[in-house]
Amino acid sequence: YIQRTYNLTKGVNFEEEKDTRYMDLNLGENEILKARIKQLELAMDVMVHSSSFLLPYNPAEETRYALVVLNQNLPRFTPLLWEHATLRLCADGGANRIYDELPLFFPHEDASSIRNRLDCLYIEQNYFRYKPDVIKGDMDSIRRDVLDFYVSLGTQVIDESHDQDTTDLDKCILYIRDSASNLESSRFQILATGALGGRFDHEAGNLNVLYRYPDTRIVLLSDDCLIQLLPKNHLHELHIQSSLEGPHCGLIPIGTPSAKTTTSGLKWDLSNTEMRFGGLISTSNLVKEEKITVESDSDLLWTISIKKTGLPLENNTP
Amino acid sequence: MDLNLGENEILKARIKQLELAMDVMVHSSSFLLPYNPAEETRYALVVLNQNLPRFTPLLWEHATLRLCADGGANRIYDELPLFFPHEDASSIRNRYKPDVIKGDMDSIRRDVLDFYVSLGTQVIDESHDQDTTDLDKCILYIRDSASNLESSRFQILATGALGGRFDHEAGNLNVLYRYPDTRIVLLSDDCLIQLLPKNHLHELHIQSSLEGPHCGLIPIGTPSAKTTTSGLKWDLSNTEMRFGGLISTSNLVKEEKITVESDSDLLWTISIKKTGLPLENNTP
Repeated sequence: YIQRTYNLTKGVNFEEEKDTRYMDLNLGENEILKARIKQLELAMDVMVHSSSFLLPYNPAEETRYALVVLNQNLPRFTPLLWEHATLRLCADGGANRIYDELPLFFPHEDASSIRNRLDCLYIEQNYFRYKPDVIKGDMDSIRRDVLDFYVSLGTQVIDESHDQDTTDLDKCILYIRDSASNLESSRFQILATGALGGRFDHEAGNLNVLYRYPDTRIVLLSDDCLIQLLPKNHLHELHIQSSLEGPHCGLIPIGTPSAKTTTSGLKWDLSNTEMRFGGLISTSNLVKEEKITVESDSDLLWTISIKKTGLPLENNTP
Repeated sequence: MDLNLGENEILKARIKQLELAMDVMVHSSSFLLPYNPAEETRYALVVLNQNLPRFTPLLWEHATLRLCADGGANRIYDELPLFFPHEDASSIRNRYKPDVIKGDMDSIRRDVLDFYVSLGTQVIDESHDQDTTDLDKCILYIRDSASNLESSRFQILATGALGGRFDHEAGNLNVLYRYPDTRIVLLSDDCLIQLLPKNHLHELHIQSSLEGPHCGLIPIGTPSAKTTTSGLKWDLSNTEMRFGGLISTSNLVKEEKITVESDSDLLWTISIKKTGLPLENNTP
């Protein structure tokens, strides 16, 4: 075969006839192979999922995150999610949570200094570390003192109280999609806290947001678990961070029964198995491998537990 | 026509007959009202392993059968005394003894188990059975015990089924779908959830001092081609509902009687008011 390579020592691109028995995997070939894998994955509709947002923040990470904070108790790893996110929104009363509860994660520091803390990398730009970029929603839950405080720091406030047809999470997703339209969608993920618990109709409405935006990667997070949509007719690969998540997991056909779902890597794998409410759904399952695959004829919710220990809470600031 | 006691009874019986013929199911959150020894509905209470709702003592009063599912016993032991801050914890624990503790026993604390065993609580260890959830096991026990009771007058109240791990919550919602002939109500501090089986005319009698106004109808499991309601702020009229499209959330009850009819099993949910809820009857 003819191989086109970038030779590290000679520093040139050149073509040479190569014996297929001797395949040197050098840097350039690595890139070509990666590109080919991507091409094949796209053709096969493979979606790869990884909970990298539970790992320490890495400035070189490829995925861009937006964080939406809804009005329930903040999960204990919220500071970590905040680090990863380049866009941070509070949905209405979610701003109360940031104001009241974020300081509680830093018990040795003064609450006011957490709220007002300047990021030491950006002091000259007046960059507040825990200041939301946007507060959006119908404004019926946010406290007046909280609203005034973040306005004084420069947070953009978008009052949508005229729009009663969409939930607060909806409004935030729409804002993010409008702002982020220039970003490649597979590299952009929305993390939402506080979408679960509380009133069940709120929770159901938030789950429905996952179904209504199947092309947008949205992860709902609580102290106990995460939930994301696995759109139908794709081959899903879930890369499990086993020190941080699992082993408890489930696949839930919330909206429509599934005639055939197939998995690998679980304790109780499915093999063209039917799942429906009223019958079998996969709950209290366990991840056995570091890579789980799921393929289904129906949109499914994937849920996995988040470990109580082992989770890095925040990077050390440089 | 004198409407005397006897005729009243005849009329009531006739209404019941008609309702049954029309497949009318009547729902009322009477378990949120003070306990009345003359009440017709019999209740069983199942306590699962999440924080106890603040009205748990009231539910306990209503129930003639009280079960803890595994770690639910820890909740009764630890948290019930907190509702009676002026009383000695030990006397509360002795007063609120579950009839049965059932489940796979991987969450209940040893000291809690020993305490209730010493009081005479029946313990049914199902750790061999990993195929059914703790709530499942309790429902099966209740149905077996209560088979002599008329089913429309028997209701199972379950606390702690929501929140925590989502796969647990989904499994508990699935229990409602898997026992559509059994009246099961899931309760939390914030709301209640019950199944409205398809192809019935449902009448929901709202206790407006205790529940609402926030409510919803959720087509979990299967889309609904046609749902019709009355008494809501945003009523449905042969409306389609599905995940990925419209579902009824953040709705409001407007009337004291809500009707719902659907071609699909729906979950009805309504908020529970933070104030106005009687917590417990005075013991006679």
